[in-house]
Order: sequence, then C-alpha cells, then structure tokens
Amino acid sequence: MNMPTNPQKPAKKLSLKENYSHLTRGLGWDTSYQPMDKVFPQDKFEGIKIHDWDKWEDPFRLTMDAYWKYQGEKEKKLYAIVDAFQQNNGQFNVTDARYINTLKLFLTGVSPLEYAAHRGFAMAGRNFRGTSARIAAQMQAIDELRHAQTQAHTISHYNKFFNGLHDYTHMHDRVWYLSVPKSYFEDAMSAGPFEFVTAISFSFEYVLTNLLFMPFMSGAAYNGDMATVTFGFSAQSDESRHMTLGLEVVKFILEQDPGNVPIVQKWLDKWFWRGYRLLALVSMMMDYMLPKRVMSWAEAWEMYFEQNGGALFNDLTRYGIRMPKYHEVASMEKHRLSHETWATFYNYTHAAAFHTWVPEESEMKWLSEKYPTTFDKLYRPRFEHWREQQAKGERFYNGTLPMLCQLCQIPMFFTEPDDPTKICYRETTYRDEKFHFCSDGCKDIFDNEPEKYIHSWLPVHQIYQGNCFRPGTDPTAPGFDPLAEVLQYYGFHVGEDGGEYLGSPDAKNWKAWTGKPAVSE
Amino acid sequence: MSYQITIEPLGHTVEAEEGQTILDACLRAGVWLPHACCHGLCATCKVQVVDGDYEHGNASPFALMDFEREERKALACCATVTSDVTIEADVDEDPDARHYPVQDFEGVVEEIVALSPTIKGIRIRLPGAGIAFQAGQYVQVQIPGLDQPRAFSLASRPDDPTLVELNVRRVPNGQGTTYLHDVLKQGDTIRFTGPLGRFFVRLSDPQPLIFMAGGSGLSSPRSMILDLLASGEQRDITLVYGARNRAELYYDDEFRVLASQHPNFHYLPALNEPTETCNWTGARGFVHDAAVAHFGNDFRGHRAYLCGPPVMIEACIRSLMQGRLFERDIYTEKFLTSADGANALARSPLFRSL
Repeated sequence: MNMPTNPQKPAKKLSLKENYSHLTRGLGWDTSYQPMDKVFPQDKFEGIKIHDWDKWEDPFRLTMDAYWKYQGEKEKKLYAIVDAFQQNNGQFNVTDARYINTLKLFLTGVSPLEYAAHRGFAMAGRNFRGTSARIAAQMQAIDELRHAQTQAHTISHYNKFFNGLHDYTHMHDRVWYLSVPKSYFEDAMSAGPFEFVTAISFSFEYVLTNLLFMPFMSGAAYNGDMATVTFGFSAQSDESRHMTLGLEVVKFILEQDPGNVPIVQKWLDKWFWRGYRLLALVSMMMDYMLPKRVMSWAEAWEMYFEQNGGALFNDLTRYGIRMPKYHEVASMEKHRLSHETWATFYNYTHAAAFHTWVPEESEMKWLSEKYPTTFDKLYRPRFEHWREQQAKGERFYNGTLPMLCQLCQIPMFFTEPDDPTKICYRETTYRDEKFHFCSDGCKDIFDNEPEKYIHSWLPVHQIYQGNCFRPGTDPTAPGFDPLAEVLQYYGFHVGEDGGEYLGSPDAKNWKAWTGKPAVSE
Repeated sequence: MSYQITIEPLGHTVEAEEGQTILDACLRAGVWLPHACCHGLCATCKVQVVDGDYEHGNASPFALMDFEREERKALACCATVTSDVTIEADVDEDPDARHYPVQDFEGVVEEIVALSPTIKGIRIRLPGAGIAFQAGQYVQVQIPGLDQPRAFSLASRPDDPTLVELNVRRVPNGQGTTYLHDVLKQGDTIRFTGPLGRFFVRLSDPQPLIFMAGGSGLSSPRSMILDLLASGEQRDITLVYGARNRAELYYDDEFRVLASQHPNFHYLPALNEPTETCNWTGARGFVHDAAVAHFGNDFRGHRAYLCGPPVMIEACIRSLMQGRLFERDIYTEKFLTSADGANALARSPLFRSL
C-alpha cells in the first residue's frame, strides 16, 4: 500500500470541553433560506430578551454519544434489580398494603407527568434558538421518557396484585383529583418555552423536587419497597442534571436583560404557588399514608423550603429577585395541610382509585407529637368520631360533589391563612362570570391571565354538565345513579379500587397471601 | 518512590508520592482539578487515565460504574498511581495561570511596620531564589503552637521574590494574629507554604479592571496593581478601597502618588466612619457605595477583583450584579477569620464560586 505518510505530527487531542463544544454548539447553524425568527417563532413572545446565546454556560458536559452509554448502563442495572424484586415477590415485603396506596397515588398522579415532561422538553428543545439549551432540553426529554417507561413497568407489576392501577392513562385524563397534576403540567406546556423551563426545570425540579422525591424515595426505603428505591437511585442521577439545568436557565435569563427580572419574578410567584398546591397530595402521603413515617410534612417544609429554599432565594436577591409571593402563607399552613387534605380524601375515597383509613391510635399519637398546636385540638376529634361511626358500620362517605378551585382544581377545603377553622373562599368576576378560588395565590394567577383559565376542564363542572358518562348513557332512565355512572366513565371497578381500606379486597388479599395483618403493628 | 502525572489538556506534569492521591498531587503542585466531596462519592473529580497504572482507592461503585472503570476512568480524589501516568481532566486551560509549584519556605523577619492602628506589615527575607508567585496569591503561615496554619495574601510584588510582605490585621482574641502582632519580632524565623489560590489578574482578558478592597484585603490588590503598573499596563485600572477612618487607610500616600504618575490608574478611597480629625473630603460610605457612585451603577464591560471580609465581598457582589456585571467577570478572595464561620449564611448552589 502506498499510503502517504503524514509529515506533520498528529493533531492535538481535543479537550473534554472542546469535544463537548463541537458536539453541541458546533452542530448548530444559522438558517439562510428562512429568517431565524420564522424558524424559532416562539422564543420572543413572552417578552424575554436574549442578546447573546453564547453566554449560556453549559451546566454539564455530556455529549449524546456518552449519554446513550450511561443511560443504557443504568437501564441494565435497574431492570436487573426490578426483575429480582418481581421474582422474589418483593411486593409482599412492604410494611402492609396501606403503603401500596402511596404508590397508587404516585403512579397514577406523577408517572403521567414524566411523559408530559418528555413532551414539554421536546417542545422546549425545538423552540430555543441557542444550540446548547436545545441539546440540554432534548436530553432531558429522553430522560423523562425513560422515567415514564420504567414507571410503567412498576405499574404493570403492582397491577398484578393490587387494585386501582389497571388503566392509569385513561384515568389521568378523567379522574377529579388527577386533574390537579394534569392541569398543572398542561399549564406549563401551553406557556412559552422560557416559562416552561422556569416552571418545570427551576421551580419544580430545583425548588420543590426534594419535597416530592424525599418522602417518596425515603418512604419506599422505610417501608421495604426496594424496587422503588432502586428506581429512585436511577432517576436521581438524572435529576441532579435536571436541577443544574434549572439553575442555569434562570441565571441565564436574569443576566441577559434587566427587563427579564420582573417577568421571571412573576413566573416564580406563580409556579411556586402552583407547585406548593400540588404538593398537598404529598403532605398526606407523608403524614397519613406511609405505615412507617420518615418525617412530618411540617418538618420537611422547614428543611427543604424554609432553609434550603431560603438560601436559594437569598442568593437570588443579588439579581433583584425576592421570595415567591405567599411563601409565608405556605409556612402558616404547614401544621394543617396534611390533615385537611387527608380528611377530604377520607370523605371522597369511594370516588378515588385508592383507599383511605382512619389513622391507628399509635399513629394519632405520632401526629400529636409532630403537630402539638393543631392535631389534638382540630383534627383528632374528627378522626375519633369517624372511627366510632365506622365501628357502628356507618363509615362516612360524602355523597355530594365538592366545589373546585378554578386554578389548582383542588376541592375548596383549605382554610384561611389566619384561621384554621374557616374555609378560605376567594372569587373574581371576569366578563360577567364568577370564578372561585381556594386562595389568594390561585386568584392572583387567574387574574394575571384570565383567558388561560376560564375554560379549564374542571371535573366537577364536567360531571354536572353531563360530560362524564359513557357514550349512550341515558340520565333520564329510571333508577339512574349518576355517581356510579361517573365511576364507570373513570374506568373504576366500583367497590374494589376505592373506599375504605379495612375490609377492602386489597386488605383481604394481603392477609391471605402474606399471612400478615392488614395494618402492621 | 515518586511518579509523574501529566495532566491534559494543560500539558503540565506534577510529582506524586507513593500513596498520594492524584487530586492531592495536582492541587499541591498548583494544578486545579474540579473536586467536591473528596472521598469518592460525588464523581465531580472524574478523570480519564490515558496512560499508566493506578489504583481506584475507595471510589463508590455508584460514582464510578463498572464500565467506566473498564474505560479507565478514575476519581482523582481516591485514585493513586503506581507508574508514571497521563490523565485527561475536565479543566479549562486558564491562559493566565502560571502553575507555580507549592513549596515550604523558611524566612527571616526583616522588618515589622505598623501600617495602621490594627494592621501590621511583616516583611520577610527569603533565602535563595525566593518564592515564585502570581500577584494576588496567598501563603499559609505556620503559627507556633497552633495546628492550623493561617492564610495571608502576599502584598509585595512578584518581581521581588526574596522580600515578601504580609499585611496582618489584628483579630480580637485571634490566636494567630495575636502571635504575629505581639510575639513575632525582627530577626525571628517564620515558616509558610505557598503560593496558593486562583486569585490573580486575567491578563488575557481585554476588559478594564476594577479592584475593590476592604481593610487588610488591600494586600492582594496592592500586589496586583504594583505588578500591572510596573509591567506597563495601559488599560484603565480602578482601585476602590474602603476603611473605617483615615488612620486605617494604609498605603494611601503610595496609591495617590501612583495615580498621579499613571493616568490610567484611578484611586478611589472611601471612609465609612470618618472622624473630625480625619479632615476627610473624599468619598464617604462603604466600598460598594463609592463604586456605584463612581461608575454610575453600570459596571458592564469590566473585570472585577474583590478582596476583603465576607460582608464587604457580599455587598460588592450585589452592587456589581445590580450594575449588570455577573459571575464570569467577578473574582473574589474572601478573608475569613475564625469569627466568620459561625454566622455565615447558608448558601445555595446557584453560584459556582461567588
């Protein structure tokens, strides 16, 4: 062979940074057949001004080729452990079958959000003009799809043994309490790309994520659910990348133009409050649904928001950003949030795809210790009353439909910031129509963008309008039972999926299959 | 037995002793590698070993996965070398870093001068070639009877490597500074290790420079400014220097002379508690107040170097950021004393180094 010998010495090997730069920014180009503004039509209407995308500092240097390799390896590890868990019937090693209800709520409420996040980041990745931001968003889009898939495997496994997990995608689009996480994410996805990443990458993944993952993952570990713990580890290594993306996004926007600061402040106010309202579901997981508890909601709020979030917002004041509006209301509510939420689900559990129960005496003792100023005075008497009713065979179910907040879509059960005995009602009139809200926080968000929320798909309104019956249903037929019909429309197995835990098929099966009591000691 | 570690893309070579981690060897030799937990858990210090033999040490299997070990990745904070090795690290070539090796020095106190009622200047004569350092770097001084050394910036010029000066402010009840103020005397031996730190002028950056100093934090900027002016720097250099009163404003005369000699050097002293006897007609208030007034609250297009106590640094960072100068253009050297640790505010990861 007559290969010409290269007289020059071989080119210097690229540094990791140069390599990364070539595989990200180096792949971008400015379009010439069409103006850039037409190719990227969505990155200006929100009012955010970006003068120099090159000032974007890559929060991590992961190229696509390395990304596939890491994620492939992670999948292998994760599925090996999930397989072992399934073969060893690991689902029977959890504390008791009450714990499974936290999984049901998480898997039906949050797993579809992973898929929504996949879609949202794919859209953000399409709409950013800056190449590095686009690639970071695309990688996260793939992460989220992976998380949705691994959780679908978990759902599939638990569905073999427990009720309520048989059709989570169908339920996500219909069920009243699942409209809370669904509408939260759709609000973000239907905003512009900058608001989306501020809402999801920063406000949710960075500021509030510990409050979601900590109780879920530590709760799983405390209660013997090793499959979920492993999923947590696998997802966590992605989450740290998502969190750094959230920080970089906000820094970048704030530094690009002083006019961006008030816009970002408004988004932080909005998405703090929306995220906090969503976390009401987590508060009851922590205080009521985990048979072995990790820490109380109030403690978690103090540690993860008041301290860590306080440090973050203190740093943000350098940019002229202040604490999110109504953060003090969230702190005032921390001693009652979980109790009010759980009591509401206790009322409506017959219309839910998971079970509720009255806490055991030992659990009420724990609640008294964790909530010395509120539990014994305000909430214990109600649980004791319900327990008595239950003993008489009169388990209480609320037969009416609750009024929903137009914004967060949660039933209006939250109380006045300064009075835990009085329900908080707020209302606004827009184009001669009255809209109702659970809080000043939700009302402010509506007032700022009323057109976005006047047509919200509110489950209770939809039921009353007759939109929540299966096709062909005749509401005028004799003996028509509207509630039963709605539950059919939701795809629930009435009498199995919801209602009181004690005596439920789940509780009976647990005893029959494991020989352990339905409520662990 | 010692080995050589070559760090790409810097092309620098450092010595590593048997059992010394790669990270320790690099840091000791003035080569900075990213690192955080320093015990094998966080993977911030992951490097690629291009050539040579090494041990992984206590790297966690989660931080360094099996396939990464097969690819010859290593965690620098745990890995030790068993031959000469070449590694590739995620470091930016800082074109302005000179990587002077860290050494132990023993000098003789040549002179101690009272620069202000609370600050002493200690001038130390070093044997041989003296210390090679970049203006702005610091040394760790051994205090007899104390386990932990104390950090002081070098206040003198790098082109005078055998006579170094430290500026020491007396910390009330501080054991280290009490020794240096009350016990140390002319002719005594003093030991220190250095040069350390990444606080030096980024000469390759074309933007004009702002120095902001408070109290004995003047030492680094003094060395940097003397060095810049001596080498014929033509860019605008502004020193905003704050002290409580006229008596604490040390080296004031020297900077006034420099400002009159160099039209590109602007000297802006500010007193926050001037007394009657100060006869002060200059700026009043803190360093950041004086800087905001001088620059009209617009710091864009500058590089800023901040040196002083944490409260002053924080106030200056806030003012600079309100005036649209951000992290990439701000360098800081915080002067922490034992009194600062207890009430330091919790920080978030929003900023990498500020």
